[in-house]
Amino acid sequence: MIRSLVKKPDTEAYPFTKITVPERYRGKLDIDPMKCTGCSICAYVCPASVITMIEVGKRKVGEKEVPVKRPKFDLYTCIFCAECVDNCPFGALEMTKEFELATPQKETLIMTKALEKWQ
Amino acid sequence: MAEPMETRKEAGAGLIQYSTENLVPFGPIHPALKEPEYFKLYLRGETIVDVIPRIGYVHRGLEKAAEQRRWTQNIYMFERTCGICSFAHSLAYVQAVEGLTPYEVPRRALYIRLIVAELERIHSHLLWVGLLGHWAGFDTLFMWVWRDREIVLDLVEAIAGNRVHKSLATIAGVKKDIPDSMKNKIVERTKHLADRAYFYKGIVDTETTLLARTRKVGILKAETAQKLCAVGPLVRAAGLARDVRADDPYAAYGDVPIDVVTRSEGDVFSLLHVRLDEIVTAANAIDYAVSQMPSGPIRLKIPPNIPAGENASHIEAPRGELFYFVKSNGTAIPERVKARTPTLANLPTALELLKGQTMADVPVVLTAIDPCFGCMDRLSFVDLDSQKQWSWGGEELRQYGIKRYFPERKT
Amino acid sequence: MLIEAIEAILFPGFLFTLGLGFLFEWLERKIAAHMQGRVGPLVAGPHGILQPIADFLKLLYKEEIVPGFADVTIYRIAPSLYFLAPILGMLFIPVAGIRAVATFDMDLLLVIFLLAYSAFVVVILSFASASGYTTVASGRLVLQYVSYEIPLVIAMVTAAVFSHSLSIAGIVQAQSTAWNILYMPFGFVVFIVALMAELEKPPFDIPSAKTEIVAGWLTEFSGRALAFLKLTKEVSLVFGAGLAVSLFLGGPLGPVPTDQILASVAYTAYFLGKLLVVVLLIFVLRSAMARLRIAQASDFFWKILTPLALAQLAFVITLGGM
Repeated sequence: MIRSLVKKPDTEAYPFTKITVPERYRGKLDIDPMKCTGCSICAYVCPASVITMIEVGKRKVGEKEVPVKRPKFDLYTCIFCAECVDNCPFGALEMTKEFELATPQKETLIMTKALEKWQ
Repeated sequence: MAEPMETRKEAGAGLIQYSTENLVPFGPIHPALKEPEYFKLYLRGETIVDVIPRIGYVHRGLEKAAEQRRWTQNIYMFERTCGICSFAHSLAYVQAVEGLTPYEVPRRALYIRLIVAELERIHSHLLWVGLLGHWAGFDTLFMWVWRDREIVLDLVEAIAGNRVHKSLATIAGVKKDIPDSMKNKIVERTKHLADRAYFYKGIVDTETTLLARTRKVGILKAETAQKLCAVGPLVRAAGLARDVRADDPYAAYGDVPIDVVTRSEGDVFSLLHVRLDEIVTAANAIDYAVSQMPSGPIRLKIPPNIPAGENASHIEAPRGELFYFVKSNGTAIPERVKARTPTLANLPTALELLKGQTMADVPVVLTAIDPCFGCMDRLSFVDLDSQKQWSWGGEELRQYGIKRYFPERKT
Repeated sequence: MLIEAIEAILFPGFLFTLGLGFLFEWLERKIAAHMQGRVGPLVAGPHGILQPIADFLKLLYKEEIVPGFADVTIYRIAPSLYFLAPILGMLFIPVAGIRAVATFDMDLLLVIFLLAYSAFVVVILSFASASGYTTVASGRLVLQYVSYEIPLVIAMVTAAVFSHSLSIAGIVQAQSTAWNILYMPFGFVVFIVALMAELEKPPFDIPSAKTEIVAGWLTEFSGRALAFLKLTKEVSLVFGAGLAVSLFLGGPLGPVPTDQILASVAYTAYFLGKLLVVVLLIFVLRSAMARLRIAQASDFFWKILTPLALAQLAFVITLGGM
């Protein structure tokens, strides 16, 4: 125990030093809008009701006109389970390593990238 | 312990009235309890004569909530029943659901499940040893053990992506693989942890003050354990060799040998040794599983509807036998899920153990059963006039809620 | 007269003792932390040295809640009464010279009285805040007091008998040839262990056991009262360790230059050095052990420590007679 006294303590000096997280860390969600097709599978599987599909336009499929949807993410509800990531057939979603997500306004955690890039 | 109490009046079906002068309330908020539950301790001087519990403070209604979410969404909800046994909960649930489907889980997935389950067991036992040190006033042991726990957490983070909620189990498989590059690190770290477990066993055996607090404290006899249906390391410390991993193997436990550790005294000291030994057996099991892991897929994609039927599955969570029952009506939403957690099974045993102990032993004995009130909570009713005790089912809860919040509605 | 008043208030009296109290609280937290692999206070001041002062100031402006069925008069007065004892006691411990600030012929007896007085004030305190937790704590306090007081006093009397003096300064002076600890090492050990019980340090922190009875007798206090109670505990450490140094380690004695002022500085330096040694010993011991139950602690004191103290006393008497 005296040895412990003179050894360097094991506490990481966060927030004074940066912490590195492993490769597979499930941090904040990110979407690649180019790959998203609006299939809505992510919204279907999400356990926390993070994803709402918003209609952004219409297109013609044969004779009919169908709505085109893109997802809006209310990331403040996200539980970081990665169901959406695993189930997306086009690999449009990924979990980044960002974990410092505390914010006093929850609007900052709403991700609408996929909606905006749709044009 | 069988002293006649001068203020005792038998009142109906087993509810005993005591004078409130010797009542020391333990909880619901107390530095010795991680989660709130109310234990009314009736003391005589410093000796406890009786304990009357009142639970329900962290009841979240998870079983009811499960009936409104899909099968896969429920995995994540049940994972969050408890932070320490989270994988155990999701595993038991997933196994119960898989029993209803005709699919067979890939073998590699079974091995990965075993590795993560054993890692979780190591984590839980390390946490418990530290906590016992803390409740006995031995903060130095607490800090040292939790430093080792960080090793497990980092390992889990590398495998699963999160230190606590692993989100690994899914119906018919696991979601993330363990690549060969990680295998060496896993084996090396678990070996280090096994060495540390031996080191802590040495401390437990020799540190006089700790011995004074744990030897002969909270002695559980094998017959009492059997009568009160205790589960987990508690029962193994009393001498009964009951372990679901050996008695009814699930996941890859049929192929990977597990030593069932037992002791015979049944006091907190033996519990310390049982749990520390289980860390060592878990490390050995992980070692074996990593070396024998078969190749192949890790999950099967299955349709969202689960065939109708009922199934139950039980596993050995770090605290004892965890039991899940599911009932499906063929859709993507379960009809009924029921979870019976080990702490609920151990609670009557804990109360029995407390009688005759002193006030100072209360945190030590309560911690000895490794309580997780978050897992266990139930709602129950006591009618003081007719002295009846009963529970409400789902429909009655719903009716009560409607009556209370929407009094003008007729339903 | 004026010099004595300044001495009493500034140094080595009131302010000096308070400063040492804060310093030792910081030291204790740092050492306990490093032994546990942690860092301890870090942010307030360099290496967190201002942390105890920050905690004290914070407590001062917090709301004071008096429990409903407590005895309000005692609840209000007792913390100040408790605070007086070690502060007063420090006036009799020689720090900057052979004589202390208020030395008189039988001040050892007064010191023993002060120790008893502070224990009783605490018992009254904890009875006054009548809650389930403090009642249990009172019982434990009384039992612990009865157990540690005897060996503690025997150890002090051993030093007094050997040095043929009932005044602390006299005992210090008698050690100018050799420190008392060389003749009565077990007496020193007994004193330190009994002191840890008086200060409620693990393994004897039973009356204020944090995980069992919330905070024991401290439970119902908040705000200024709590600030002063905690401060008094730290000052008691300074006082108790100071006693150990004076009675067994030769107080501030050591080779000094002839100049008056420099001599005082040298004396103080020796005193502080020895004080640090005693205090470090206590801190290392406290981190190494779990907490005992009150019956076990009582057992230990009556069956092991008291006989040891008596044996040491007998030894010293025969030695002195030779």
